[in-house]
Amino acid sequence: MNMKILIKKATIVNYDKISEADILISGDKIVKISKNIKEKVDREINAAGKHVLPGFIDMHVHLRTPGREDEEDFLSGSLAAAKGGFTTVFCMPNTSPCIDNEGLANWVREEAQRIGLVDIWPIGAITKNREGRELTEFGAFKKVGCMALSDDGNSVEDSFLFRCALEYAKMFDLLTISHCEDKNLSRQGSMRESFISSKYGIGSIPDISETVRLYRDIEIARYVDARLHLAHVSCAKSVEVIADKKEHFPGLSCETAPHYFILTVDDVEKSAFNANFKVNPPLGKKEDVEAVRSALKKGIIDCIATDHAPHSAAEKELPFEDAPFGFIGLELCFALVYTYLVTKDILDIKGLVEKLSYNPARILRLGNKGKIQEGLLADLVITDLRKEWEVKKDSLVSKSKNTPFLDSTLKGTVNYTIHRGKVVYESTGL
Amino acid sequence: MSGWLKKHIIALKDLERREIELIFDAAQSFKEISQREVKKTPALRGKTVINLFFENSTRTRVSFELAAKRLSADVLNFSSSTSSLAKGESIIDIIKNLESYHPDIFVIRIGSSASLRTLTQYTKASVINAGDGKNEHPTQALLDMFTVKKARGTVENLKILIVGDILHSRVARSNIFGFQKFSSQVRVCGPSTLIPYEFDKLGVEIFYDLDKAIEDVDVIIMLRVQRERQALSFFPSLREYVDKFSLSPERLKRAKKDCIVMHPGPINWDVEISSSLKEQLHPLILRQVENGLAVRMAVLYLVGTRKK
Repeated sequence: MNMKILIKKATIVNYDKISEADILISGDKIVKISKNIKEKVDREINAAGKHVLPGFIDMHVHLRTPGREDEEDFLSGSLAAAKGGFTTVFCMPNTSPCIDNEGLANWVREEAQRIGLVDIWPIGAITKNREGRELTEFGAFKKVGCMALSDDGNSVEDSFLFRCALEYAKMFDLLTISHCEDKNLSRQGSMRESFISSKYGIGSIPDISETVRLYRDIEIARYVDARLHLAHVSCAKSVEVIADKKEHFPGLSCETAPHYFILTVDDVEKSAFNANFKVNPPLGKKEDVEAVRSALKKGIIDCIATDHAPHSAAEKELPFEDAPFGFIGLELCFALVYTYLVTKDILDIKGLVEKLSYNPARILRLGNKGKIQEGLLADLVITDLRKEWEVKKDSLVSKSKNTPFLDSTLKGTVNYTIHRGKVVYESTGL
Repeated sequence: MSGWLKKHIIALKDLERREIELIFDAAQSFKEISQREVKKTPALRGKTVINLFFENSTRTRVSFELAAKRLSADVLNFSSSTSSLAKGESIIDIIKNLESYHPDIFVIRIGSSASLRTLTQYTKASVINAGDGKNEHPTQALLDMFTVKKARGTVENLKILIVGDILHSRVARSNIFGFQKFSSQVRVCGPSTLIPYEFDKLGVEIFYDLDKAIEDVDVIIMLRVQRERQALSFFPSLREYVDKFSLSPERLKRAKKDCIVMHPGPINWDVEISSSLKEQLHPLILRQVENGLAVRMAVLYLVGTRKK
């Protein structure tokens, strides 16, 4: 017998439409959406006054497994995802060992299924050990269900090899995700090149380090007509290029992360160079934040991913220049998007769903996710948009606590997360 | 009572003009002590100063060590230089370890810019910055300013020129912040590749032509050329650098008649400064070293005896 859940009086938000109805879930699917459903069910959830959104899909997380299970593992990562309303996450292959073969990719799938809280899909490395020298076996990745490839953290330096990767990926209909960075321009920098970096002599990364590589990647992908997704777009110049190229190249998509539409180099200075403000690509200037916001509004940027990057406390308490890059984000993303984009009228709630659910599903061709619709998978988030909460270190379930948003007050809570018809997270403070 | 309140001396950015003046006053009295037969005062007797150097330094460390000894403090020198990430992790452990000896002052030299504010969390002691990456070297700037004050009677309303590798120079940054607090105008001059991004926003004037930059200045600070950094192709050759940015007798004539020339040392003669100027310029540069001792005694004293 299938387990049945009935969600009553839901305000259902899809990317294109808001409606009021009840949702009936049976097994892992949404079987009926209509007003006043009367049905004997195992569980009824009263969603009056709450907004029900399609489960969020994060195209860019680091779960540190295998290799740094002290920072995150599949269980803690799944718990953090579920708590943040994510029902599907794509984990990057910068692990140790690197996810550059189907054996490891398959193991990730099996572990995720065993835990069973959210879908975890591994992103296969483009090149062996992400070294940019030899392609991995894309066909083997495809066989175990991989949908995307990336040398996360590294750009494939050799332009010919990158061309080959894009052409070869087409054969398997795999999406190539590009970390756009010219490391010769970044050198050993720690923050965005700016007046602040100059004032404190901090090694700096110019915005063109992202933009020049992004331009190369787009043109190569366009030349071979392959699908290309750009990770963590962070600056105004990149947005300008993407806006222009997207008109001619429908295979192009991109994401940004919440910090790029919220924080700037001034926040880095205000933090007295706390390593919790160190991320790559680095936080930009005010005009970058404005450009990213406006690109989200105009649809130039398709989705918002977290780039969830857990790091141990010992590593993040190091001096700014010595500490590793990255923020955690799974538990905060929804509230950050709601607080900084929706309440500020940059996106409406449908726009939030588009960036966090619909577009990632579309880009990754997850036909049964990203929408609340009869027949699709019952991946749902029940949210309270009125409720404020404070980001407290101790309440984070991720093994790592490295976020610049500690102690800030955000609006919007996740009350329930339902993954494939199962309640995988339920807020206790209702 | 000195009236000093700050616990740490981390950056000239954070010091007030009044505080810099207090340091000058104290340095003046300590300068006199060093000229006596018995060069010691019991001002910091019973206090412990730890010189914690994570980067190679002989001159600054020796100066701080002697300063602490002349103030009768117990001095411990701890030097360590290891590789990047492991380095950072052990830095905090080392501080926590040394904290067990209940030191009063840590004098820290470290390779990471703007890192000392973070490190103060791990100790109850005061922290004095002896150079943090490319950020600041406060006691160097204070001794430069003190030297100017002694030579010219004031540090106010002067034209200061800093020449060389500004990008990598903590000495340049500290001097800029220091002199600006006294309404002096600062010019920087060097290869365009070694002038930091948007540096004009700091309120300094930028020059690429030393002959123009030098006109009418009261003070010139020549920075050391880091030969090892040349490999990173900021400029093509020493030959071209010398041609454009070395201080020659002809160039020096374009400055004010009573212009003074300083250098944080060690000098590469005939690179930064023509050796034909050695006889004329070296005495003052050596006086910087002497003043450095007095200034470091002053900061140790003020921080070590501050009202808690």
